[in-house]
Amino acid sequence: MALTNLAVSARDVRRTFDGRTVLHGLDLDLRPGEFVALLGRSGSGKSTFLRALAGLDTGFDGTLTVPRRRSVVFQDARLLPWMSVLDNVLLGLDGRSERERAREVLNEVGLAAHEDAWPRTLSGGEAQRAALARALVRSPDLLLLDEPFGALDALTRIRMHVLVQQLWARHRPAALLVTHDVDEAILLADRVLVLTDGRFSLDVPVEIHQPRHRGDQRFIDLRARLLAELGVDESAPTTRQGAHA
Amino acid sequence: MSAPPVAAVVDEPVVLAATQAAPATVVETVELRSVAPSTDRRRRLPRSLERLGGVVALFAAWELAARVGWIAPDVLAGPSTVLTAGTDLLRSGVLLESLWASVQRVGWGLGLGVPIGTALALIASLSRLGDDLVDANVQMLRFVPIIALQPLFVVWLGVGETVKIAMIVLGVAFPIYVNTSSAIRALDVRYVELATSVGLTRRALIRKVVLPGALPGFLVGLRLATSIAWLLLVFAEQINATSGIGFLMARAQVFFQTDVIVVGLVTYAVLGLLSDGAVRLLERRLLRWR
Repeated sequence: MALTNLAVSARDVRRTFDGRTVLHGLDLDLRPGEFVALLGRSGSGKSTFLRALAGLDTGFDGTLTVPRRRSVVFQDARLLPWMSVLDNVLLGLDGRSERERAREVLNEVGLAAHEDAWPRTLSGGEAQRAALARALVRSPDLLLLDEPFGALDALTRIRMHVLVQQLWARHRPAALLVTHDVDEAILLADRVLVLTDGRFSLDVPVEIHQPRHRGDQRFIDLRARLLAELGVDESAPTTRQGAHA
Repeated sequence: MSAPPVAAVVDEPVVLAATQAAPATVVETVELRSVAPSTDRRRRLPRSLERLGGVVALFAAWELAARVGWIAPDVLAGPSTVLTAGTDLLRSGVLLESLWASVQRVGWGLGLGVPIGTALALIASLSRLGDDLVDANVQMLRFVPIIALQPLFVVWLGVGETVKIAMIVLGVAFPIYVNTSSAIRALDVRYVELATSVGLTRRALIRKVVLPGALPGFLVGLRLATSIAWLLLVFAEQINATSGIGFLMARAQVFFQTDVIVVGLVTYAVLGLLSDGAVRLLERRLLRWR
């Protein structure tokens, strides 16, 4: 097939909800092993697009080619509370043949000691790491991350960024990270897309070597550019208010 | 600035400024309270024992009234007479025989009613057709008092064991159905979405997500069902029984043996308590993850 060298190919993907168009014909190619961040304000349609890629929403028009093996990490860890952490990681897999591999992945995310724990006993960060393990144990060709750090505190989020970076470098799936955190997008992605009102309004590569630092001039420039694209002017609101005072 | 010292509430005055020119000025007006846990010296007995006192008093008054003759034996036998009647019935084997007959009826009732209620709940909440066929009808029939169905049941099933068990089965199936199906309907859709994203088959979805998710609701239904089962047993055994606790009581009624009637009442209560305890234990086992 012609698409074998692409992990994702979207052509003219449209989605309407009750006559309201949320996605206006999106085109996107993702190479295998590419990490793309999808930025957008709330209501821009970024989660809708991710759900279509995940196969959770089949009501769209257009053509979408995705790998068979893909996994999703949701904003909430979404662990089944009545299963141990290990069984959650193994959900939908053959418990006997995959058990050892699930243990390995739990070890990778630093939860080896918690494999028998009930999800309710985990902290927010631990639960999200278990969710990452559940996604990675499937050796996905496409990893879909739907604001996976949105509900975590700032310190845990920083640690999760490092962890995701490491795991992605080791497993190398194509990854699509939906987020509204500009810094997170620049820190992790090879390429950042901005979705504005259901259309890609910006597509920029992140040409900063890892590890990236927020103080780097190129980081600062890119952040300003992305924020401007998102309609946020970091200096504007205070200046304007100050002028009136 | 030699203002008069302000009285302090604390034992040790807090000296904020002390120079030779001005003597120590204490400004500490905040009342300090001990935050140590208060110890209630009046309570020496555990609360459960204290509560038992009331029960003991009631039994003592009852015994006294029976001995003195304020209550005639054919109105209500005293506790000691009941105890004697109970041990006699136990020793002769009559009590155990009756107990076994009653337990069997409830066992059959629960054994058939619980799976029926659960199966109907699954059918009704997992498919549109099942919902149309089952739910509306069950919700309608739910409001018919089961006891009122007895004449019809006797016409259909006679007066043997079948009719007694059938009534219990019906009485058990409703609370199981209602609680299980509403628990399935209330299941978090995000879990179903997760199941889709990891590619669970429909069977695996039911086994790993739907059933465990509905378990808390099912167990609420089971507790209700056991108490209803005993209630219906009492009713069923009052009509045309030739064995069981109810039969024992009905026969005692003929001879004004109030002591035997009370033994029957106590037996029912103990059985109800035991089965409720069993369900609680089951709850604790199955819902450890909570």
